[in-house]
Amino acid sequence: MSAFLEVVNAHVLYGQHEVLKGVNLAVEKGEFVALLGSSGCGKTTLLRSIAGFNPPASGAIRVNGHDVTGLPPDKRGMALVFQSYALWPHMTVDQNIGYGLKLRRMPKAAIEARVAEIKRMLGMDTLGARKPANLSGGQRQRVALGRALAIEPDILLLDEPLSNLDARIRLTVRHEISALQRRLGITAVHVTHDREEAMVMADRIVILNNGEIAQVGTPEDVYNRPASDFVAAFMGAENLVELPAETKGDRVEIAAGPFNSAAVVSSRGRLLSGLSNARFRGESVELSDAQGAVSSVQDEGALRLSGVVEQTSYPGGLWRHVIAVGPRHMIVDSPRSFEIGRRVSIRIPEEALFLFPKQ
Amino acid sequence: MSAKSETEVTHGWGSKKLPQPDTAGAFRAKHAGGLAEGGCRFAMPVHLLGFLLVAPALAIVVLLFVVPLISSITGAFEVGGTVSLGNFTKAFELYSGDMLFTLAIVLLSSALIGLFSIMIGGYLTLGSNPRAVAILRWIYRWPLFIPFIVVGQILRTFLAKNGLMNNIFIELGLMTPLSAMSFLDWRGIVIAFVWKQTPFVALLLSGAMASIDRSTIEAARNLGANRLRILIEIVLPQVRTTLLVGLILSFVTMMSVLSVPLMINAQSPTMITANMAFRINAYRDYGVANALGLISLLMTSAVAWVYLRQTMREHSR
Repeated sequence: MSAFLEVVNAHVLYGQHEVLKGVNLAVEKGEFVALLGSSGCGKTTLLRSIAGFNPPASGAIRVNGHDVTGLPPDKRGMALVFQSYALWPHMTVDQNIGYGLKLRRMPKAAIEARVAEIKRMLGMDTLGARKPANLSGGQRQRVALGRALAIEPDILLLDEPLSNLDARIRLTVRHEISALQRRLGITAVHVTHDREEAMVMADRIVILNNGEIAQVGTPEDVYNRPASDFVAAFMGAENLVELPAETKGDRVEIAAGPFNSAAVVSSRGRLLSGLSNARFRGESVELSDAQGAVSSVQDEGALRLSGVVEQTSYPGGLWRHVIAVGPRHMIVDSPRSFEIGRRVSIRIPEEALFLFPKQ
Repeated sequence: MSAKSETEVTHGWGSKKLPQPDTAGAFRAKHAGGLAEGGCRFAMPVHLLGFLLVAPALAIVVLLFVVPLISSITGAFEVGGTVSLGNFTKAFELYSGDMLFTLAIVLLSSALIGLFSIMIGGYLTLGSNPRAVAILRWIYRWPLFIPFIVVGQILRTFLAKNGLMNNIFIELGLMTPLSAMSFLDWRGIVIAFVWKQTPFVALLLSGAMASIDRSTIEAARNLGANRLRILIEIVLPQVRTTLLVGLILSFVTMMSVLSVPLMINAQSPTMITANMAFRINAYRDYGVANALGLISLLMTSAVAWVYLRQTMREHSR
């Protein structure tokens, strides 16, 4: 059985510039999918192609098995929530929410009932007569969501709907939206550049890089099993060292270097030979005092780096250290602080170590 | 007295007034430099200095605008050296038909200008064929650069009984030579006004439409609104103040045009600008001409009042 929403080999051009380079995506009914990527990676373009505002130059978009590639935006059973909310300033909250129903020639009484229901659902019963200019950012965001939900779309498309909200409201609205989506059983595609937002809200995350899909997977997948160096870095494994690594059977052998111990870790299907990128997150390693020189003993299931503390700070919860490992700097968190200038050892367990061939 | 001179004078006032802060700054700097530091201040109070600086501009406004305006207003109430309403009685006796004619023509033209500029602006904003949009964008502004008198002349040859338009219709077999008629009456004036003023309002309007948040249009499309509904229900309400301003400026401009009624329709009924020119040129009758001028000023003031009330309401919101 094919997926509810399918994007098949979509190429999208802006003039001569190819923004999407053959994207394939399948979304199941009722699923919440986040399109995650840095700005300019094509995630909004993909969303707008799905919505029908940027028709792909080649490829197809299918909903429930029907080809909608050539259909206008309103014939696709989708509702888009815009980044700027795009509320109509001359209409009240009620009129904004009810406009889609008015276009569907619903009787007035039925529109009023539906608008009241939506407002109740979003907790804004008393604001019906206000104009958007008299609403707070969070309220506007809710009206935009209500306007999209009022027409009971098959698919809800969200274009960075939270990026204009201040940080505290954003956290609550995140949960509101995903709870609402689950309750209504609606299929949702959400564009964001915020990693945590995608992790918290989505069932599956699609990571886009430069017009191509870098990885699709559950939040846990993309976080713990990144498919490429780019995904690992994008998902927060920003600390990078280059090491010679060699795959031997189902294990990877790392030779000892001036700043690292020799180590053997499980290969997880990776084929490495020669200089490789080793990435890790600062919060998933252990920091301890260095024990003399780099040991010549081969570590099993972990890699050990040695370095010198250069800076410390306390962002809350854990201490953050900037550690010089040879010419590179690592950022590592630890429950206790190590003073500046001290020699330390960073132990990276194999499940936190991401190894990829150096490009 | 006409609206044109009114706007020109306003511009003059603005441009005279603009350099004021610079001049004042230089003035103060120059004099302060010559004085002992600290306590000793320039003797003249600041507000008097300000007044002196605007005085030349003010004098020009008073001499060239306020004095002539007052003298034509008082002139309207003066018959043979005594104050009287005689000029107005005479103006109404002779020209009440023309006053209504003027008002009807200008209102009808304004309505048509509004309609056409909404169509042009709407197509420029929402049109889906980029080539057609580009052609329209290039072509629609041309009449802006043609003076009213030339518009009158062009349309005179085009709309006359033996004019180009009828000849084309006859050639195409749409009309017999016998049924050909002249459009050089109220219709000619309306056509001239609409042809000349639509680009102006369309220019203002399409600019305003282009600057509204594009995603408000996309949101409506996304929910299923067709283009006409988007234009009427989404775009137009967001630019209605601009439309109103454009139409009011057009109204005032049309009220002050003399060349078009003279070129196209010099017979009766005609517009009161033609009557004013006639009173002065043929009879040297400044009294009735002033009275007619004051009546036309009242008409434009009524429109300006509508505009002011509207902007006040917008601000209070």
